[in-house]
Amino acid sequence: MLIKNIITLTLNDLAIALKNKTIYLILFIPFFVFLSLKLVDSADTVFKKINVGLIQQETFAPVILQTIKAADKVFTIFPVANEEEGKRWLKEKKIDGLLLRSEKERNSLLLVVLKKESLLTLSIVESFSALQKAAEGNAVNWISDVRPLHAGEIQKQTLPTWILMLVLLVSFIIMPAQVAEEKEKKLLLALLQTPMREIEWLIAKLFLGMILILIAVLFLHLLGKFDPGNVLSYVAFIVVGSFCFSSYGILLGFLCRSQASARTLGVMFYLPHLLPSALSDFSQKLTSVAPFLPSYQFYEPIKSILLEDGSMANLSIEWIYLLLVGLVTFFFSYRLMKKRWLM
Amino acid sequence: MQIEIHNLTKVYSEKRGLLPVSLEVEKGELIAVIGHNGAGKSTLLKMLASWLLPDSGEVLVDGINLANRLAVVRKVGFVPETPNLFDFFSVGYNLKIFARLFQVPFIRMEEIMKEFNLLPYRNNKIHVLSKGLRQRVSIGRALLADPPVLLFDEPTSGIDFDMTKEIYRLLKDFHASGKTIIFTSHRPEEIKTLATRIIVLHQGSLVFDGSPQTYFQSDLHEKLYRC
Repeated sequence: MLIKNIITLTLNDLAIALKNKTIYLILFIPFFVFLSLKLVDSADTVFKKINVGLIQQETFAPVILQTIKAADKVFTIFPVANEEEGKRWLKEKKIDGLLLRSEKERNSLLLVVLKKESLLTLSIVESFSALQKAAEGNAVNWISDVRPLHAGEIQKQTLPTWILMLVLLVSFIIMPAQVAEEKEKKLLLALLQTPMREIEWLIAKLFLGMILILIAVLFLHLLGKFDPGNVLSYVAFIVVGSFCFSSYGILLGFLCRSQASARTLGVMFYLPHLLPSALSDFSQKLTSVAPFLPSYQFYEPIKSILLEDGSMANLSIEWIYLLLVGLVTFFFSYRLMKKRWLM
Repeated sequence: MQIEIHNLTKVYSEKRGLLPVSLEVEKGELIAVIGHNGAGKSTLLKMLASWLLPDSGEVLVDGINLANRLAVVRKVGFVPETPNLFDFFSVGYNLKIFARLFQVPFIRMEEIMKEFNLLPYRNNKIHVLSKGLRQRVSIGRALLADPPVLLFDEPTSGIDFDMTKEIYRLLKDFHASGKTIIFTSHRPEEIKTLATRIIVLHQGSLVFDGSPQTYFQSDLHEKLYRC
């Protein structure tokens, strides 16, 4: 009976989602994201002193090295042991760019940056150009090539942020309101007048959240034709993320008596989960705070899988963390439902 | 005894609710619970329907503790004051989903629609129906599993005279078919000829439990309802 009731309740929830237009929102958001990505332009930070990583054992042209070191009001030099360490520092935002010796041209540099199409990259290149003019006049450019840390175009680089936004939107805005609506209209109490078990209703709601998230993510991929990289790892994280955050959203719904308060509470959880994680790419401070949030534990693996060919094998701790958060919130929802909390 | 209520208590933060109440209900009784707003009538019925969990005390239905929800859920049907139905769906859909959950054949749903004259409204959305019709759907839903005990919270609240008469006729029919019925009302004059027993609650306490004749002959009615 468990499965039959869960299917009945899930189909009923999906029918409600269709009737109250939630499903249109699920399709509209990826469409809006897709359009925004089409129109996306570079935007970055204001000029500041630039932190540049230099590999200690690398042999750079002496004039380049001396000029960069002399320009200490423009650059701060961070010696790094090797290219791997430099790239790690770049990811951790300890440095803004990593200078390597160009293999294409002698006495030239290859600049590795986090995002190629950004004002920060532009300011680094401009600063080097100005230094070079002062030192050598109009000689060949010191920087002969700029390479982003992550491969792929900017649309794909912002994809993890959009995926996080979609997941959190369904989980923290739609799901709490859906749960609170059933409480507010006493529909949940009517369902509890039947032989339906509490856990069946909760699993059905969980399925609703997960199905809505999967539809939204799939639609976004179909529109943008984005390559998900390691498909199995990607699907595993989308599934566990949708489980974790749907369960979280259901719990928020249980903490509210009405739809209006569920929406308010949802927004209060949505923004603090979205912004620190999504903006952690741009701030070292946020990078140190964001790992405490489950949203970051979802965002980083998705970013790693989509942009750095990461796989489940290296991300199992994050996966288990999300699963545990989902299970804990599910348990609390179950307890609140048993207690008929605010019903 | 079909229903045994022992020291049932529910106190809200505003000190309203139900103070310890003990009652016994025999099979086939038609009981009207009356009292002013806030007397504890709905609280009592909602606890009997498992909508509210009591602070203390227990309720046994046919000897089974109400806390064992799945064991008694088919024994008690509850019709709330405001029908709680899926508004955007049709009458047929609302009955169908509950028939599935109650695991009753769809033929039972057809019987209910026929019995309550709902067949012409089968495809009508709930939100376009009058309150009286919605109340009929709500009663039909409560009867899907054919429970021996029926609870009605203010069944005639907010409905017109004709529909009120119709609801009272239904209550009489259910009673005649051997069901135990408990309903609340704040219009005692209307239930004078209907109930076989009257329970009066006042500020959460049980102040009268007896026949309608005794109640209307006593000065309690005058005291409680004098303007």
